[in-house]
Amino acid sequence: MKEMPTAEEVVAMLREEGIADLEDGFAADGNLFEAGMDSMAVMQLIVVVEERFGAVIGPEDAGRENLETPEALARLIGRRTA
Amino acid sequence: MTADVIVLGAGSAGLAAAVTAAREGAKVVVLERHGFAGGMGTASLVHTFCGLYLLGEGPPRLANPGFPAEMAERMLRATGDDGPVRMGRVWVLRQHPVEFVRIADELFRESGVEVLFHSEALRAERDGDGWTVEAVCRGQRKVLKAKALVDASGDAVLADLLGAAAERTESALLQRPAYVFGVQGVVEAEEGLALAGRIVDGVRRGELPKEALGLHFRSSGRAGEIFGSIDLSGAEEGDYDPLDAGCLSRLEVRGRQVASAAVDFLKREAAGWAAAYVSHWPVRAGVRESRRWIGRHVLSEAEVLAGTRHADDIALAAWPLEFRETTRGPKLRFPEEDRAAGIPLGCLMPRDLDGVFAAGRCLSCDHGAQASLRVMGTCFATGQAAGVAAVLAARGEAVEGTLLRLRELHGSPE
Ligand SMILES: Cc1cc2nc3c(=O)[nH]c(=O)nc-3n(C[C@H](O)[C@H](O)[C@H](O)COP(=O)(O)OP(=O)(O)OC[C@H]3O[C@@H](n4cnc5c(N)ncnc54)[C@H](O)[C@@H]3O)c2cc1C
Repeated sequence: MKEMPTAEEVVAMLREEGIADLEDGFAADGNLFEAGMDSMAVMQLIVVVEERFGAVIGPEDAGRENLETPEALARLIGRRTA
Repeated sequence: MTADVIVLGAGSAGLAAAVTAAREGAKVVVLERHGFAGGMGTASLVHTFCGLYLLGEGPPRLANPGFPAEMAERMLRATGDDGPVRMGRVWVLRQHPVEFVRIADELFRESGVEVLFHSEALRAERDGDGWTVEAVCRGQRKVLKAKALVDASGDAVLADLLGAAAERTESALLQRPAYVFGVQGVVEAEEGLALAGRIVDGVRRGELPKEALGLHFRSSGRAGEIFGSIDLSGAEEGDYDPLDAGCLSRLEVRGRQVASAAVDFLKREAAGWAAAYVSHWPVRAGVRESRRWIGRHVLSEAEVLAGTRHADDIALAAWPLEFRETTRGPKLRFPEEDRAAGIPLGCLMPRDLDGVFAAGRCLSCDHGAQASLRVMGTCFATGQAAGVAAVLAARGEAVEGTLLRLRELHGSPE
């Protein structure tokens, strides 16, 4: 099992997978929804996170509190890989 | 039957062209294969007007005066919405396909356009100074004559019928199609992120086909009614070809299969969905890109991204490039400083023909520029200009007068 990713790794993943169009150095506590991530992008995100980290994000996890910022996402991925 | 102007297709561009030309005093006939106007905005249930408002910060400002502004106003009156909504960096106006159809009927009636629904154009040729177009309705051919033609078919059908220069993007790069359907019976239902999570879960458990990952829902603005949209690759079996009946047929069936499976699944599992049902199928799956005219000017992606203006611009392109080359959601590219590029008259004028004008998603531009120009707000604007140009051509006047006439009618854009 992998460790919990860093917020930077999450930002890199979102960019590489084309999930959100983030600028260089997007802040760990930056708002991903304001940066254009919508519910369709969230579906992709869940699929990618499972492929990359083996983290299974269930319907109950798919709330703003878990997905809004790179650091919240990193924490969620950490919890779901454990 | 003899007209001044025949408009092929009554989508957003054809509606704008026909109504504008009739208001300019021309006798106008519209040929439309469906039983109502609106094209993708009605038959395919596409339910927002994009490209009506300029990019940038601050309150919404209409990009193009005249017909686009009038449509915005009529639609707002019909839906009762307060105005456009901000989605990220853009303004969009929610529209309801049922209202669009009715508004189009009113506009045709008020302006005196003669509409022939259930008429598919299948032949066109030069006839003296003008044109002959043949349409078929229920197996019966009808021959129409006109002094000028507008191709607002979305697919540059007239270019094909006339053997004129046209262009198609290679299949693998074409903007992907989508299947939009109506759902009713959802009450205080699970939506947004939670619903997205549930759909992925359904795909993971094998309860939903993987195409369901391209599905999202949006409120129609009417109580208990939502629209589902599924981005499809169109290449489920063989290459995507939006002009091929076999390919389109598979697309229609696949769209219905995925939509049905998704609604059944959500009825079983999602809060507030127990009484949900598919309330309407589209007349046709939505096609974003097919064939385009090659005109005297081929507007390029680079021009749109640079916000380029030309001496003979007839409209502004106020939407970012919206790429849909995959089924994984839109990729937006914004022009420099959010500056709207101009669409020159040459984009409406076929390279080698006089008296024919193109408008809407099949006008002359490259694949990248079409990613901006195809939206309905811009189609209203290019349609309006094509209507004015066609009337000038029908009267034997110089079509370069289109700019001046548009300015007389509505003032300058922006
Ligand atoms: C899934 C999807 C989502 C979209 N989302 C948006 C959005 O949110 N906002 C937005 O503004 N735009 C959106 N677009 C783009 C937009 O809907 C279309 O590009 C636009 O409606 C095209 O208008 P048009 O008048 O050029 O062509 P069309 O709407 O395709 O109209 C062409 C008309 O011509 C008729 N026709 C064609 N050939 C013939 C013939 N031989 N004889 C008789 N009639 C004929 C057709 O029946 C049709 O009515 C979307 C498109 C799709 C597919």
